[in-house]
Amino acid sequence: MSAVATSTKEAALADRVLDSVRQQGTLSVPTAEAEAALESLPYPTSRLERWKYTRVAHLLGLEVTSANDAPSPEKVMPSLDAHRLTFSGGQFVEGDIVDEGPEGCFVGPVSIALERYPERVQSLMDRSFAKKEWYAALQASAPQDGGCILVPAGSQLERPVLLHHHMASGTMAAQPQHLIDIAKEGQGEAILWYDAAQEATGLMNGALNVEVGDHAKLSLEIVQNEKGASSHIGHLHFTQGHHSELTVRTATACAHWLRNDLRIVQDGEHAVSTFHGCYLPNGQQFVDHHTRIDHAHPDGRSDELYKGLAADRATAVFNGKILVHKDAQRIEAYQSNANLLLGEKASMFSKPELEIYADDVRCSHGCTTGQFDAEALFYLRSRGMTETAAHNLLVQAFLAEVLDGFRPEIRDYVHNVYAQRLGWS
Amino acid sequence: MLKIDNLHARIDDTEILKGLSLEMGAGEVHAIMGPNGSGKSTLASILAGREEYEVTEGSITFDGVNLLELDATERAVAGIFLAFQYPVEIPGVSNINFLRSALNSIREQREEDPLSGKDFLAKVKACAQLVELDGKLRDRSVNEGFSGGEKKRNEIFQMAMLEPKLAVLDETDSGLDIDALRIVSHGVNSMRNDQRSFLVITHYQRLLDHIVPDHVHVLAGGRIVHSGGKELALELEDKGYDWIVDTPAPEQA
Repeated sequence: MSAVATSTKEAALADRVLDSVRQQGTLSVPTAEAEAALESLPYPTSRLERWKYTRVAHLLGLEVTSANDAPSPEKVMPSLDAHRLTFSGGQFVEGDIVDEGPEGCFVGPVSIALERYPERVQSLMDRSFAKKEWYAALQASAPQDGGCILVPAGSQLERPVLLHHHMASGTMAAQPQHLIDIAKEGQGEAILWYDAAQEATGLMNGALNVEVGDHAKLSLEIVQNEKGASSHIGHLHFTQGHHSELTVRTATACAHWLRNDLRIVQDGEHAVSTFHGCYLPNGQQFVDHHTRIDHAHPDGRSDELYKGLAADRATAVFNGKILVHKDAQRIEAYQSNANLLLGEKASMFSKPELEIYADDVRCSHGCTTGQFDAEALFYLRSRGMTETAAHNLLVQAFLAEVLDGFRPEIRDYVHNVYAQRLGWS
Repeated sequence: MLKIDNLHARIDDTEILKGLSLEMGAGEVHAIMGPNGSGKSTLASILAGREEYEVTEGSITFDGVNLLELDATERAVAGIFLAFQYPVEIPGVSNINFLRSALNSIREQREEDPLSGKDFLAKVKACAQLVELDGKLRDRSVNEGFSGGEKKRNEIFQMAMLEPKLAVLDETDSGLDIDALRIVSHGVNSMRNDQRSFLVITHYQRLLDHIVPDHVHVLAGGRIVHSGGKELALELEDKGYDWIVDTPAPEQA
């Protein structure tokens, strides 16, 4: 009987979320396949390995309310010189659209890209997550508006594009869909910014699909800075062509409950992938970074580095899978996950997974979880630093390896959020 | 300036200091020598405020203040500096940023204005010259990848920057070659004045050829068992500790 009850609960949640987001507006794309998957996929529970430490039961009872007339979100990083597009609750709010015609660059909302260039956009809607994961299927069943960046072959974006998605107060559901396509030999930089109001308690179930073509380059910085008590599930999917370079840096500045599923597929030889991330949950917060890279072709490289701290009663999860396919020879894949625990009741679950089917590869992984070096703390204090300042400096030093990779404005911003949240400033 | 009276201290269940008494005046240099395990480094740690040690009896007064009521930060603010026997490596924290934070933190707690960037850099330059510290070392992470001698020079560099009233040098000579010993001693000697006191903890008389003390004490079994002038160091070098340690310790008043 319990199985029936559970299935009723998850179906009811799906209905509530889908009703709500459809009422607000969704993209005109085919969704039948995702809807079928949603019905057949199991709701994630701790019995599934991928969700072992990540409890999503709390979402089953989520009473989604419809949109209210929220004020426009505040501009983020106002001094940053970037091309900005702002979204709130899965709807386009404002931003200049760049449209250089069918063969040129496009920067604007997906909804408009779909109207003007359906064939360019449809092909980017990779749905591989949606066939496997309940929440990805939910998102793909009713995707909402997000940013669309199309860079044609050999072109380059002049300025970084800042895609800002905001969750307003209340128990809302949003399922934004961002798309980025950097065609052969193209180049671009983008910033994905997610934030939420202090009184937000809803569900942010969003997706990003990225294609980086042959010899193309993309640098992406993701900032998650969600106040309030909303839940965030991110489905981030990247495909790389041969000789392409992808860099993804993720800073979870603040999140009440967050799960990121990041997947990179090297779909050509000599691809280079760098993905770094940092996180610092405190209080009762929960942050989970699941990553997977597929080295499907020879001579690829990947450099993965995730660092974080868990304070108070918070929980952090890291799971990093490296899959080297058969015949993907001469791969170099490096993974590192380092953590500090700042509270006796804080928890950290870290798991590297290496599956290697080629025989000539160089792979390494390391994971450490520890506490503050008491000796270093005493050393700093013996020179006159307060305990707070000494902690601050040590945390800054610990996270520097990841944070220093961001542009300085973002690095400083994220550090300040950490410092404020943990009372270091 | 510093008065230690009948100090008893332990770590976990081991009693290490057993009634140590010592008095130092302003501007004086005192050397503490003694066999291994006699409690020399424990004394240094307790003076700097290391929390693993528990003081069970006795008192420490510094400039009229009960030192035992101050934490490590407050002691630095009060003007105590410990040159570590094993300086700590702190990857990711630049030597210079750390010193700037430390210096301004002390000034803030003393209700003084922060040092301007220009004044700070001028001071860094002067102090680094004093111990012949390479510019590259100033900019690197704190002690990371430093040789033994560089670490000790960095300690004296920090001391010069922070200008303490009482500097405790915990086996600063260990691991130093002759040249480094000379440089470190020069740094210390040029900081001597009638307001600043030094407590020099060492195993070897060699250091005291360079930093000439006003008083030499022998610490054994957790208390001072013998005191004398600078010539005592030479005598110890010659005869070892047995002749002192075997005589009964003076009774506490």
